[in-house]
Amino acid sequence: MEEPDRSFPAPSGARRRAAERPGKARRSVVLADRIADRAITVGGVFVIIAVFGILIFLIEEILPLFKGGAITGVSEYDTGITFESPPVLNIDEYQSIVVALSPDGTLETFHARTGRRLHAPAFDFQGKKLSAMGHTFDREVLAFGFEDGTVRFAGMVLKTEILTPDRLPPGLDVLDDRDLTDGAAVYSAVPGNQFRKVSVELGLEEELRVSTPGIPIVAVDCSAGGMAERPTRALVTVNSAGEVHLSVTESRLNLLTRKAVTKTDTTVLPPIPRGTEIRHVLLPSKADHVYLADRSGTVYRYNIQRFETPFLAETRRLLPSGVQLNSMGFLLGEQSLVAGGSDGSVGIYFRLDRRDATTADGFTLVRTREFEPHEAPVSSLEPALRGKTFLTADQSGRILLRHGTSEATLLRMNGGFEKTRALVIAPRLDGVLALAGDGHATLWNIAVPHPETSFRTLFGKVWYEGYPEPGYTWQSSAATDEFEPKLSLVPLIFGTVKATFYSLIFAIPIALLGAIYTSEFLDRRIRGTVKPVMEMMASLPSVVLGFVAALVLAPVVETWIAAVILAFLVLPACLVGASYLWQFLPERLSLRLQHWPKSVLILCTAVFGLFLAWRSGPLFEDVFFQGSFVLWVNRSHGGAAPFLFLVFLPVSFLAVSAAASRMYGRRLKLFMRGTGSFQAAGLSALNQLGVVTVSILVSGILALLCDRLGLDARGSFVDTYVQRNTLVVGFAMGFAVIPIIYTLAEDALSSVPEHLRAASFGCGATPWQTGLWIVLPTALSGVFSAIMIGMGRAVGETMIVVMATGNTPIMDWNVFNGLRALSANIAVELPESVKDGTLYRVLFLAGLVLFAMTFCINTLAEIIRQRFRRRAMQL
Amino acid sequence: MYKSITFALTRTATAADQTAEAVKYIRRKGRSDLSARGEPFLWGLGGALAFGMLMIFGFLALIVWNGLVTFYPKPVQVVTLSDGTLLAGEPSRSEVYKPGPQVLEHLDEPARQAIAAEHGYARRTLFRTGNFDLYNEDFRWASDFSIVSVAEPADVYFIERIEWGPFVGFIRSLNLKGETVSGAALTRQILEEAHRRAVQRRELIREIEREEIGAVNHRLNSERLKLKRIALKQGENSDTYRQAAAESLALQETLQGRYHDLARDAQAVKAEDAQYTVTLAEIGGRGKTIPLSQVVRFTLPNDMSFFEKIRLYLSRWLEFLTDEPREANAEGGVMPALFGTFVMTVLMALAVAPFGVMAALYLREYAKQGKLVSVVRICVNNLAGVPSIVYGVFGLGFFAYICGGTIDRLFFPERLPNPVFGTGGLLWASLTLALLTVPVVIVATEEALAAVPQSMREGSLACGASRWQTIKYIVLPRALPGIMTGLILAMARGAGEVAPLMLVGVVKLAPELPLDGFFPYIHLERSFMHLGFHIFDVGFQSRNSEAGKPMVFVTTLLLISLVAFLNATAIVIRNRLKRRFLIGHF
Repeated sequence: MEEPDRSFPAPSGARRRAAERPGKARRSVVLADRIADRAITVGGVFVIIAVFGILIFLIEEILPLFKGGAITGVSEYDTGITFESPPVLNIDEYQSIVVALSPDGTLETFHARTGRRLHAPAFDFQGKKLSAMGHTFDREVLAFGFEDGTVRFAGMVLKTEILTPDRLPPGLDVLDDRDLTDGAAVYSAVPGNQFRKVSVELGLEEELRVSTPGIPIVAVDCSAGGMAERPTRALVTVNSAGEVHLSVTESRLNLLTRKAVTKTDTTVLPPIPRGTEIRHVLLPSKADHVYLADRSGTVYRYNIQRFETPFLAETRRLLPSGVQLNSMGFLLGEQSLVAGGSDGSVGIYFRLDRRDATTADGFTLVRTREFEPHEAPVSSLEPALRGKTFLTADQSGRILLRHGTSEATLLRMNGGFEKTRALVIAPRLDGVLALAGDGHATLWNIAVPHPETSFRTLFGKVWYEGYPEPGYTWQSSAATDEFEPKLSLVPLIFGTVKATFYSLIFAIPIALLGAIYTSEFLDRRIRGTVKPVMEMMASLPSVVLGFVAALVLAPVVETWIAAVILAFLVLPACLVGASYLWQFLPERLSLRLQHWPKSVLILCTAVFGLFLAWRSGPLFEDVFFQGSFVLWVNRSHGGAAPFLFLVFLPVSFLAVSAAASRMYGRRLKLFMRGTGSFQAAGLSALNQLGVVTVSILVSGILALLCDRLGLDARGSFVDTYVQRNTLVVGFAMGFAVIPIIYTLAEDALSSVPEHLRAASFGCGATPWQTGLWIVLPTALSGVFSAIMIGMGRAVGETMIVVMATGNTPIMDWNVFNGLRALSANIAVELPESVKDGTLYRVLFLAGLVLFAMTFCINTLAEIIRQRFRRRAMQL
Repeated sequence: MYKSITFALTRTATAADQTAEAVKYIRRKGRSDLSARGEPFLWGLGGALAFGMLMIFGFLALIVWNGLVTFYPKPVQVVTLSDGTLLAGEPSRSEVYKPGPQVLEHLDEPARQAIAAEHGYARRTLFRTGNFDLYNEDFRWASDFSIVSVAEPADVYFIERIEWGPFVGFIRSLNLKGETVSGAALTRQILEEAHRRAVQRRELIREIEREEIGAVNHRLNSERLKLKRIALKQGENSDTYRQAAAESLALQETLQGRYHDLARDAQAVKAEDAQYTVTLAEIGGRGKTIPLSQVVRFTLPNDMSFFEKIRLYLSRWLEFLTDEPREANAEGGVMPALFGTFVMTVLMALAVAPFGVMAALYLREYAKQGKLVSVVRICVNNLAGVPSIVYGVFGLGFFAYICGGTIDRLFFPERLPNPVFGTGGLLWASLTLALLTVPVVIVATEEALAAVPQSMREGSLACGASRWQTIKYIVLPRALPGIMTGLILAMARGAGEVAPLMLVGVVKLAPELPLDGFFPYIHLERSFMHLGFHIFDVGFQSRNSEAGKPMVFVTTLLLISLVAFLNATAIVIRNRLKRRFLIGHF
């Protein structure tokens, strides 16, 4: 830019002054120097720290995923409510009111944070004696069974209203720093100068006669389902005579008259053996099954999918003999059946379709998940209303908060009293209340932000609800809250590896062979243009590649798939064939043409090869795949042999040519030396032709043999054809990876010192021998690091895999199927995930995994490259 | 592997008999043998390079060709199909496909035989028929075997509209405020004059709605926020608040009045505009009446001279470069995306240049060269290879949520819970990309610094210059071209990067540009549009990817030209640098 002399604009006067005072610099110079020193040091260190900060930040963001939960506060108090058998508890979202409904029908309420008793409304049963009680999953609908055989539905809702201050009733008592009360409801101030009122609202419906009149009902359960405009309610009763009745009530609101029409159907289920004491009745909200369980642990599963003809589908002991079934219940979604035994064991059962099932409907209960056992018999079980979290307590007062999917114990609590009678989890999963028989209560404030993740659920096999077997699955969201998130990163890592693998087996040969040719054999003038073009390609935006791959390449490849496959054979065959023809050229001519005309000829041959593949594609498809490759690969027609033949052909070619050169290679060589060049060319071409013929025969025989043995490529790396598949990704990624590998490898090869080449040529070696035996081994580590860096790029590539794959998180090596890579998954799901939610953090973890993968690959490459540099310097 | 090769080498070398043979042979014939020339392998190597070059040039040719021809007017063909239906449209592309068995069943014998002769392949053409509002599709395939005749009538119009994509058909009549012009009276002059007026009205409406009403809305909003700010700071019961509330109320009323006036004006123009309509008819005779102002341009593609075509071509390019997108980005222009890309790249360069150079200076000139620095150097090198999406994740989590969230809480409490900086935006996108490209700049700058000979530094220091003086006057000027190369390469990478931007602030349609007439004029918190994301969005998320495809090709061409331009600049600078300071470094 500037001439060095002009860079010192110091006036001569200043210089003289400086000379007069030797060793003294001007203050401004010293100051500027010091400021620059500080600024550059601070700035430089800051940038380096900032860059490394990424790693620290990512780690910090994902750490909460692996922490179970924490107790943030405990309040203990005496409620003064004593009871004999455990009541049904319910608590509102804001932890204001707790409702305790005893089995005899009496209702007590108290303030959740202080335990102060509140006035509660009561159910009026008109003097009838309650004998059984059941409730829906959310505890808002209850069913009461009476000694005279009647049942009644009831509602028990914790109602929340928002009030303006002027609607607040006068004379409220202060409960604590948040809540006020008028004796029955709890009021608390909320932002925006408003108040929230939480109160208990009861409703009791008319008597229903479902069961045989006069016989006491011993167990009842109810469920509510259906759509908002057509709610259905189901009820199942068991009376002391062992009769089981099922009733389904459907209410239909007439839109014109606004009148609700209620229709009730009742059916009798096959009876259970006399004398069985039913402890648990479960009726899922879909009302397709009824589960009855007795004290000994035998479960009777009724299939009521066809309401008119219900049948007893399965009778099974869930626990080993001698162990009593103490608790049984569903988790949210009513697919996981939790059973707690008197030996302290806790396990989850799924109803699964099993081929070997001996049950009446082909389904059977399978124990799929095992939890950390209690030391004492399990006494109670409470599912949460959010996620698959649940609580179990044992008779020694120990309470464990667990998660159904991760099988992890999130929190351990100890009531400190002998018998925990009743438990409830706050709906927002931020509190646990335990009530003892003597009225002593403990409220734990808890924080379990990410209960569903653990190392095992993220990286291990998990048996998900409704799945026939454990597996790796990624499915982060669904339409309902009852959905079980499946957050295994393994399919995504697999997708990344698959995309990288297929793109590299395509890119490495082209890039490396091209680089060797460029550095050793290409005319210098052509090299001067080829190299920058390739370098420019390296910075081609990947969104462009993705777009072309998905919208242009994918349909073309689908139509011409046979030609594409054929090109992999025809192109090398054409080149090799042309090279044998070239050998027939007289030596003088071939020496004269060996520079750019030969390169151009090679290019023309490649074009011709592609053209040939394109033209003969349909014929090839007819002969090998009966006219349609896509149908063949979907196993609609055709046998395994033709494709196996194609796969074996290159392998057998290599094997046959190796064997041939072993057997008579040297003799042929020596013989050829004795002949003229034309005869030698003819001989070697003939030899090659023979090798090709033999290898065709060998691979044909092998293919037929394998076909007989039942081997088929379909089902492994070729299978169902999808338009946006890994083959297309491999092509497109080739555009991104080839220039990188090519440029770096070419750099490494051409930086091999010239004197090595000169020495080799001086010894009489040909360029080919020099390239293969001298240059390549010297540059090998540099070439290897080029491959590693290309791999790093392929691993992290995002837009191509987002656009050109179907983004299906599946795990198979099928080259004609899609995949979902880590990077694509982040790009697709992160914009929609909630900040600091589980998915958000899991995606950060995906980012960290990607970071770690590429960082390792690149570090390795860098270390190898530095070693190579040192060695190249020494030479 | 290396070992085995050297082993092979020694083995060949020590095979004494072979050497003797070779010497004998060379004496006798003076020729090398064929296996030493390795001709088949050479051809294989060359073939790989040729294939690579073919891939690249094919790709570039595809993009450039499709990008360039998109705006060139194509003839509109009227095709009579064998079932008697008429079809009018631009032939957009043709391909070879395999007709299914159901299709073959309904064919007559000669056609079936013709297909069988081609191994079951047949050719078909995709016609851009337009008229989405009538047909519910933009494109239709017509197989060659089903086409009876093709005509190119001179009077068929290709009409580009604001909504519903193009219309292909005829103009039946023009309705100018109750006065109907049709038939021979409907000359090109009348049409163009009426259209010119309609376009003026459309722009007037736009100006009122976007500019003037926009300004009023902006003031109303800022008044409201000002009041809220006072309320938060002083409390709603303070005197300041009451005073401000009273003032604000008065102002708001005036603004509301102004708003209503403007809205009435706009309504009046719209009512006037609705009286000028054009009635169109598609090829099958179905009519459609649309306001004249909905038409972007009328063209008679089959009745145009070459120069008219070139003029149309250029005017379409102009529209593409300067206009806003319409039809879910599938038509119109890309000006906001181009502008967004430009602003973001410039901001990124501003952020990355000082920090990258500073870090490199520190590593090369200040830090003690030891184990630690070489480890740091390896790591910095590696960071250039960390996937861009990881930077996007970091940008979203750290910049947008943590930094932006803090800024919002401190400076914009009145807007909460709506985020200002606490979500993706221009600033965060630029910073994320700056972080992504800082290793590139560090590496390039370091190499450039290393290329300055140590003797020059020593000479400067020996003359009594301080370290900073040496750097400033001796080292940096020589390293500058190298630094510029690195910076330009970083900009090229940043301009083409899309994946991280999807997380930190790029949107498919930004209602406002990041630069406008309201204080503080440049709005770094706004989300923006980007050419790369535009490609992704139009290609993958539009109503019909086929309809968006031409647009994507043009956008792609634009983006590639931008990146290639930056890269070419870097290469030119590098070459000049190499010539200037002929100092090799490995």
